[in-house]
Formats: sequence, structure tokens, C-alpha cells
Amino acid sequence: MASGGNGTGTAGGDSQATIAQRTWELSNNIETISAVDEIYHYDRQQQQDILTTKPWERDPHFFKDIKISALALLKMVMHSRSGGTLEVMGLLLGKVDGNSMIVMDSFALPVEGTETRVNAQAQAYEYMTAYIEAAKQVGRMENAIGWYHSHPGYGCWLSGIDVSTQLLNQSYQEPFVAIVVDPTRTISAGKVCLGAFRTYPKGYKPPSEEVSEYQTIPLNKIEDFGVHCKQYYSLDVTYFKSSLDRRLLDSLWNKYWVNTLSSTSLLTNAEYTTGQIFDLSEKLEQSENSLGRSGIIIGSDPHEKKGEDKLAKATKDSCKTTIEVIHGLMTQIIKSRLFNDVSCQNNRSPASEAIDVVMENPS
Amino acid sequence: MEVDEPAPTSQQNGNPPSTSSAPPSIVICGGEENVMAPSSTVGSITVSLHPLVIMNISEHWTRTRAQNDGKQEQVIGAIIGQHKGRHLEIMNSFELVFQIVDDLIVIDRDYYRTKEEQFKQVFSEMDFLGWYTTGDIPTPSDIHVHKQITEIYESPVLLKLNPLVKNADLPIGVYESIIDIVNSETTMLFVQLPYVLATEEAERIGVDHVARMSAADNSETSLVAEHLLSQHSAIKMLHSRVKLILEYVKAAQRGDAPISHEALRHAYSLCHRLPALQPERFKNDFYQQCCDLTRNASAMRNYLTKHVKNDNLKQRHRKYHHDPQHRRLKILEMESNRKRYFLVMKFF
Repeated sequence: MASGGNGTGTAGGDSQATIAQRTWELSNNIETISAVDEIYHYDRQQQQDILTTKPWERDPHFFKDIKISALALLKMVMHSRSGGTLEVMGLLLGKVDGNSMIVMDSFALPVEGTETRVNAQAQAYEYMTAYIEAAKQVGRMENAIGWYHSHPGYGCWLSGIDVSTQLLNQSYQEPFVAIVVDPTRTISAGKVCLGAFRTYPKGYKPPSEEVSEYQTIPLNKIEDFGVHCKQYYSLDVTYFKSSLDRRLLDSLWNKYWVNTLSSTSLLTNAEYTTGQIFDLSEKLEQSENSLGRSGIIIGSDPHEKKGEDKLAKATKDSCKTTIEVIHGLMTQIIKSRLFNDVSCQNNRSPASEAIDVVMENPS
Repeated sequence: MEVDEPAPTSQQNGNPPSTSSAPPSIVICGGEENVMAPSSTVGSITVSLHPLVIMNISEHWTRTRAQNDGKQEQVIGAIIGQHKGRHLEIMNSFELVFQIVDDLIVIDRDYYRTKEEQFKQVFSEMDFLGWYTTGDIPTPSDIHVHKQITEIYESPVLLKLNPLVKNADLPIGVYESIIDIVNSETTMLFVQLPYVLATEEAERIGVDHVARMSAADNSETSLVAEHLLSQHSAIKMLHSRVKLILEYVKAAQRGDAPISHEALRHAYSLCHRLPALQPERFKNDFYQQCCDLTRNASAMRNYLTKHVKNDNLKQRHRKYHHDPQHRRLKILEMESNRKRYFLVMKFF
């Protein structure tokens, strides 16, 4: 798929690439807002009407998907990354449209220790209100629609404390969504790791068993994950950008491709990968122990099943780490091929020969 | 990571190629007074710009336009970041409120002070660096605003983004101000500064993701394909750039193109910088790293998948149960001896 549709040598190749890109985008239902960029227009009356009718009160599964703006995504990722291994949090600004939530913007909150207490946001109420007030003066009319926080290195899901915080939010600040970003996994996997969740009200039993994508969870967090994972559901996430964004991003690629080529994920992720392998070895020990136990009690199917399950999960975890490491290695090999396997001394390339000739005859 | 723009292809607002000096000669903007310094002036600082700032400004402009029913308006805001000696890193930005008084823009100081307090709480290591606005080349109105900003911070920079430009280059200019004598009176003029795109790995991935919008149906595209696609796009760009340089050199050789010694020197030094790393020691270490990683990775995966599906699962585990430390190492060694031969052949 051609994202490098600009800056290519021939005009024919250029238009073909753009046609290919458009076709791909059409077939994948990419949200391209029209030239007027309607979504950026804030219709106060419409939003107030929605707030009075509160359709989400009757249906715990009312919100099905969420649209996040390119700017909000970048801000969340940058803020999460700046926290390093510490969790950070912030607020989301946006609105509601039918069964979708729309996140237009996000901003960081000056709060620490977000994973150790319920409703850490309370400390920053003053900051929040001042910020939103100031934002209204520059055309940011949307209200708070959710909060986000980061889980550096341990995946996008809601911990017990997060679930309690979100239940509180969903009682008093509806409509509200919880977004979790993992900046470490974003970098190691090479793609954005983000999840948007809404909790079910206490005592509600979701009608169908939802099949969610398997995530690698570190051993010390597995219990926290398992206990609460049925208390919330995730929304489908799509991203949108304005027409100016699109043009700027395309132009950006003209300079940015250098960074893509020069990124070294093996080095950047070395610490994280080591941590993953340690975790994996501990999981293997654990599954081994549970299988070993089953050897003593003959015909105890539940233990065996659990042991095998654990082993299957450990397999998936190892696959994930393997893939990331191999990707990093691929990058290194590509770079080595491009820049090392060319020798200027031994076989003179046509370019350097031509340059020699020209430099000798400056005319 | 920062990179210099390649000499033959850098273009900023249609100015002739340059790498370190401010390009334009006297620029007349639609009959208005010229506010750019003559081309011999060189900027005193270097600038690196994060893409987040570009997205911020773009969003500010788009939303202002959307709230005003499609009418395009100039927007103004502040840029913040870090400065180390003569290098500025522009990392973030926020909007500013202004009023139009007698056809002139007046910045609202109280609003700025409120925002300054806020950003100091969250981004404590960043300082106010300057301001941004939308538009083409700087105008006298920009000088007027710049003077007001100078009261907040002594040497601000101006970042201008042109939202109406359609060509493939990034329509951004960064300027600093100098005081010069023009017609025997001291005036403030703008000097264009060269900038590079700074980046952080997570930001790069975010920008990549948004640019290619692969949010729909992630599970269907293979991870390997996605990774290789992004590498492929980057390599395609590299290839097109190299081809461009080659074409230029050939044309210069034929006499079709004017010879620019600077461009040729750059190309020559580029050729002689390859291969990037040659010593024997590097080759050995690199091979070693490749083998280690691939061997361990494949061994881990194959061992687990193979043995999970195995019917003798219980037996095997009972056998190895007594020897946890050495067991894994033994398996890895077994696999590695088999795999090492294949891997070395495959990659080199």
C-alpha cells in the first residue's frame, strides 16, 4: 500500500500509487471527512439535546465505537511516553454522535500515582475546570468525554482500581469513556497500542460471551486482569483526520522516511524484551508446576486442562516476543544490506565515477 | 533522531536550495512592505520541530474554520519546548487569544499568563519559545505581534504554517528577528531559520499510523506485512532520492545542468561514507547477534508449539520436571545446532 505516493521519480508511478492508495482506503472504510471537515464543527444545541435524553442510561452497551482524532492520539502517545515507566493520566474532550463517542482532543493532568488510588482525577479538578474554561475561549467548545491513562509495558486493559474509578465516572459524569495507552508496547510492536473501554453497571450480566483478542499480560498482573475483565467491554476504535492534516502528513512523509529507516527497535526495546523473556520463563515454570502436579493425581482433567491452557498462552506470548525481535532484526539486516554491502573502494559505483569526472573538469 | 535535509532537494517556500544560510533575497509580498532580512544574513540558532506541533496548528486552524462556517481566519498561538545553547527543540504548542484593535492584533496577556501557569504544571521542563500563526511569508502585521511577544520573552521565534499551499513540501517556515538599520532607522526584520524534524519513536509510530490509517480490521493484516510495508515505503523514498542525485550528476556530466560544486561535494562525500561500518569486528559481532537472536527466538517458539500439541505432554514434563534449569538450555541447544546451519545460509 503506497503511503510513499509523493516524491517518486516518475509522474506515471505517482498517480498509480495515489490511485492504489485511494482504492485501498475506500475498500477499508477509512474515515475521510469531507472538505468542510464537518466533524470539527461543534453543534451546541445538538449536544445539549443528547445530554438531556441520555440514551445510554437504558442500555449498558449503548456506545459501540469511538472515533479518535489524529491530534488526540498523538498527544496521548507523547504524554504517555514522557512518563517513562510511570503511569500518567489526562482528560479527553469530545462529543457524542449516535452510538459513537468522538474524541477531538486530549490534555495532560498534573497527577501522580494513578494506579494506586481510585479517582486520582479528584486532585486535579481545579486544573481541569480552568483548562476547559480557557479552551472554550479559543474555539474548543467540547466538554470532557473521558479520561486516559497509560500502562507502560503491561498492555491495554482496566485494572481493579481503574474499574472502580470508571464505575464512579459512569455514575456521575456520563457520558464518559476510559482509554488506556501502552507507549512501551507501541514502540516494541511498531503499532499503536490503545484500548477504549466502558464498564458495565454493578450486577449486570453481559448477554453474550465476547471473544476478545488475546493480550500478553505479565505474570504479576494476570490476576488483576482476570478478576475484572468481565466487568467492562471495549469499543471499536477508528481514527480520523482533517483534510489539512492529510496534506500535512503526506508532506511530512517526505522528510520522515529517514526516521523510519534509521529506527533501531532492538536497541530501543532491549530492556522491555528482556523483561518479557523473564516473564515468559516464570510463566513456563508455573505451567510446568501445574502439569507436574497432575502427574501425581491420575485422571484429574481440570488440572491438566489448566496446565495446557497456561502452556498454550505461554506459546502465544513467546510468539509475540519472537515476532518483535525478528522485526527488529529485519530492520538491522535491511540497513546492513543497504549501507554496508556497498563498497566504494573495490567496485566503483557509476555515481562516484561520474562525480570524479565532473569534478576534474569544472566547466 | 535528527537528520539534515539533502542539499539538492530541500525547498522551503520555493526558495533556492540551501542547507545552512537563510535563503531569500528581497521578497515583496503583494505590495506590502518587506520585512525579511537580506539573504546574506545567517540565522544564529538551529531548530528541531516535532510533528505534534504541526498537528496542533493544523487542528487549531481547521476547528476555527469549522466554527466560523467555513470562513478562513488567521490563528495565533504559543510554542513551547526546550532550548539548549543555540539549539531549540519545539515540542508542543497552545492557542492564544487576541483582539483586533484598530486593524492591529493585540495579544491577550492575561490569557497567556493563565495558560503559562497550566503548562508549567504538566510540562515543567519546557519553556516558552515563541509563537505561531498561519499564513504565507511574514508580513508587517507579524512584526507588530512579534514585538508584543518580545515583551514576554526576549528572543522568540515565529513559526508560520501555510494551510493553503498544495504542493508536496511542508509549508512551514521558522523565523527569528533581528534589528537592522533600514533607511537610517532601526527596524525589526525576520531571518528565516532552517529546521529539521525531531522525533521520538512513539511519535513516529503514531504519525505513521495516522498517516496510513490502518485502524480498520487490524487482525486481518499480518504484522510482518505491515512492518515490511513501512520499511518498503521508506526504502522507496531512499531509492527515489538516490536516483535524483544520480540524474543530476549525469546531467552535470553531460553539461545539461549547471554545476553546483556544493551539491557535488555533498554527493561525493556521501559515496565515500559507504560502506557505513566496515571493520571485521563489526561483521563478526553482527553475525553473532543475528544467529543468537534467530536461534533463540525460533527455538523458543518451535519447542513450545511442538510440545504443546504433543500427546506425550505429561510424560515429557515428568521426565524434565526434575531438571528445570538445564532442561530449557538443553532443548535450546538441540534446536540451535539444527537451526544455525539454515539460518546462516538464509541470511548471508
